[in-house]
Amino acid sequence: MANAAGAAPGGHRNGFWGFLSLPGVAWLLALFVVPFYAIAAVAFGRVDPILRTPDPVWSPWSWNFSAMNKVIDRVFGGDLGGVVVRTLSFVGASLALCCLIGYPVAYYAARHATRWRAVLLTALVMPFWISYLMRMLAWINLLQVDGYFNRVLGWLHLGGSRNWLDGDWSTVVIGLVYGYIPFFILPLYAALERLDIRLIEAGRDLGASPARVFRRVTLPLSVPGLLAASVITILPMFGDYYTNTFLSSGSPRTEMIGNQIERDLRGSSQSQTGASLVLILSAMLLVMMTYYLVVTVRAQRSVAT
Amino acid sequence: MRRHRPNRHPFGLAAITWLYVLWSLVPVLVAMRISFNSGKSRSAFQSPSLRWYFHDPLQSVWHDDSLRQPLRNSLKLAALSMLITTPIGVAMAIGLQRWRGRISKASNALMLIPLVTPEIVMGVALFLVFTQVYTGVPRGFTTQLLGHITFSISYVVVIVRGRLAAIGPQYEEAARDLGANRLQAMRLVLLPLLGPAIFASVMVVFAGSIDDFVISSFLSTGASSETVPMKIYSGGRATATPALNALATIMLMFTLTAVTLAALVMRRMRRRHGAGEDAQLGNLAVVG
Amino acid sequence: MDSRFTRRQVIGGSTRLGLALAVGLPLLQACGDDGASSSSGTNTEAIKDGLKPEAGPLRIFNYDSYVSPDIVSAFEAKYGVKVEITTFTTDDEAVTKLASGAVDVDLHHSASTTTLFKLVETGLVQPLNKTYLGNIGNVAASLRDPYYDKGAVYTVPYTVFSTGIGFRADKVDAASVSWDTLWDPQYKGVTSLLDDSREGLAAAMLRKGLTDVNSADPTIIKQAGDDLGELTNLMNIKVEIEGYHTVPEGSTTVAHVWSGDMLNAQYYLPEGTGAEVLAYWQPSPGTIANDTMCVLSKAKNPVLAHLFMNELLDTTNAQTNFGYVGYQPAVEGLGAQELIDAGLVPENLRSCVLTNDQITNGLRYLALSADVEALWNDAWSKFRAGT
Repeated sequence: MANAAGAAPGGHRNGFWGFLSLPGVAWLLALFVVPFYAIAAVAFGRVDPILRTPDPVWSPWSWNFSAMNKVIDRVFGGDLGGVVVRTLSFVGASLALCCLIGYPVAYYAARHATRWRAVLLTALVMPFWISYLMRMLAWINLLQVDGYFNRVLGWLHLGGSRNWLDGDWSTVVIGLVYGYIPFFILPLYAALERLDIRLIEAGRDLGASPARVFRRVTLPLSVPGLLAASVITILPMFGDYYTNTFLSSGSPRTEMIGNQIERDLRGSSQSQTGASLVLILSAMLLVMMTYYLVVTVRAQRSVAT
Repeated sequence: MRRHRPNRHPFGLAAITWLYVLWSLVPVLVAMRISFNSGKSRSAFQSPSLRWYFHDPLQSVWHDDSLRQPLRNSLKLAALSMLITTPIGVAMAIGLQRWRGRISKASNALMLIPLVTPEIVMGVALFLVFTQVYTGVPRGFTTQLLGHITFSISYVVVIVRGRLAAIGPQYEEAARDLGANRLQAMRLVLLPLLGPAIFASVMVVFAGSIDDFVISSFLSTGASSETVPMKIYSGGRATATPALNALATIMLMFTLTAVTLAALVMRRMRRRHGAGEDAQLGNLAVVG
Repeated sequence: MDSRFTRRQVIGGSTRLGLALAVGLPLLQACGDDGASSSSGTNTEAIKDGLKPEAGPLRIFNYDSYVSPDIVSAFEAKYGVKVEITTFTTDDEAVTKLASGAVDVDLHHSASTTTLFKLVETGLVQPLNKTYLGNIGNVAASLRDPYYDKGAVYTVPYTVFSTGIGFRADKVDAASVSWDTLWDPQYKGVTSLLDDSREGLAAAMLRKGLTDVNSADPTIIKQAGDDLGELTNLMNIKVEIEGYHTVPEGSTTVAHVWSGDMLNAQYYLPEGTGAEVLAYWQPSPGTIANDTMCVLSKAKNPVLAHLFMNELLDTTNAQTNFGYVGYQPAVEGLGAQELIDAGLVPENLRSCVLTNDQITNGLRYLALSADVEALWNDAWSKFRAGT
């Protein structure tokens, strides 16, 4: 079957299939590869002395790394170091919460949901179809000082006059979890659903307690799914700038790398700094991106066989 | 797929799960409810009305051009992205599935990279390329459209390739054996078989475009190219009335209609062709 | 339709970017032309006298919603031409687009005074022919020979505004308000600072009595940044340009704002709350800035461009326009009293409207050299990083 799928009709006319892919490939070259190279050309380029606009340098032999060096100095020991650490902690905390909430949900949906399965799946998919900013807007409405959230706290005698939207890190972390957890649950659900149930049954049959079966069999088996889900969740989180701006009125206390990048490029004339930061961020994420790509390509192959 | 039925229902897990579902959806329902508020408040509901949709002569979505314009822009962007991306992506999927060789592998990898690229990286890249290199392209709507198509192509390819792999080559081979040439076989046999996948990708492109904030925002030139998510972003922190919630709700209705249609069509197709629901969920996961 | 809102977002961006972008003239002369702007055209001449208006359409480059549609349609009717407005979001973007030729327009409606020199030095704008500007005499006396354009060769001023503190008169004792109020923990959580590097750092400098808002002294700039840093935890400071609605709505009590913001704030008051809860503290000395209009060298409709500027200098039109954009026109005879009499400015917000003396004597943001600008940007970034 693998072979058959490979030797598609007209396989001897390979050029035709190349031709079919051509528009897509050309598009991605022009609007994905060239733009990405443009980031480097700007980061390592010059700045127009009068207009202060970037003057990209395309040839790597003429690149000038002084802007990049300055940014690296700021990241290691300068003011940006704190921002990087904060970004890592926010993303780390959010991921931990995603695991705590998302794993049980995905596990239940994959293994135990019975009667309400269709409803549950629809509910899990639903957030994908609701605009991310609409979902954040919903929280803005709830978290107003006179909003429902504080009112509920008031009924429970837990305070209820707090301003959640003025740079509270917990608001931002919960916002990130709320925003991105659907990205975590669905891939994990798909992975858990494919788990070989016989292994779990074997563990039970051999007399292990459910907790032990979970720890020794289910959890190890779900590691690949967890990893893939984690990667696809935190990649966008690392570049996020709108969630925390939206939920914290631009407080310096919740500044993330994405905010710096956005401000450097659009809020002031520091395109070089912004472009350098994007390159640094991409380098940081490269391992994760590659991991996900490899997993996806493998999945593609296994679907093809 | 056959599922193992556990003896005991894990009530703890069930509770967590359903609480999560409530948590994930109730805020949105509250936001939708506020769009029907008769008063100006976005935090307290007074009484139901359609004021912010139609009745308010100045500030309703219907009458306020600063709300209608983003709605128009978003719908136009999504519609054009669908129209342009789908043929490019479907052709690329068929091509990549069958094209052999090193360039094909490289192209496949290239196609997958946008899926894992954080939006801010792509946003910055496109922003710089349109301000520094392709300066002839009119900024605003046109660049936004090009950007949306760029991040949508990969979704279409991945979804359509999944379906292609499931179909296998035998139907087309049969058609060729019966005397159809390659193009005929593709048009008469392959494309109809791909129908559900193509339809799914169209919907996914639509939803992705409607939902996009980062790319639209980096490529925008101001009010004339503002989209609904951008409007929510600027208005949500600012002084907006429930009309903003109404705008978001209208947008949501468009997406949900599209998705429901997609689900119905795919269910019918699935009955006919028997593709698994898991594959589709996988697609959705990738899209996410 | 809420025009003010969009303009307010926009002006924040513009000033923020424009100011931060600025490069000094000395640098300009020191550095050679790097090619990007080779059309060195200081020799561009003004148009001849007595030309007939072109057939149009007149192409205007402006912030969104920063000119009254009534003025535009009246102009269209008067000269039988169409007016097309292309919008930009930030001054930075405007300069870049004009320089790269990405837009082709006749009239730049709202150039920032700190970046104007870039347009002049690169020959992008042409000298004005004042014979087409019959109302030029209406320009506010203080801006007839402005510091940013000696002899008013290239520009006609459009709007004028100061920077100060907007606050709730019902919650803050007006007599106690000063720059220190931004650092007063009484107002923790309900205070905001303008999201603008020049404005933010200048506030810290002025608080210490340092009036050189164009300082090149690294110690002073760094100290200002450190002072702002205190705000992060002391005040839970919000850094945004939303004061024009957060103050009237009540979520902010003390806001660093532009004077026009507080005039607009009256449109955002909840029903049942009167404008008397709003107040504006105009620092003295404080900074004053303005936007200007100029004609592009490549204009295809230079006569129409002149005539359009002339329309805005007409006192009645300027007043109409003020009612829409909310920023004080740089037109003589539209001072605080006149605008109060016209019902456009409540008495308690009188300080939001500037007198000629204030405009003449106000502190000015000047373009900074690249090195100095880098110091300002670093200090600001450090504050924004919250570390």
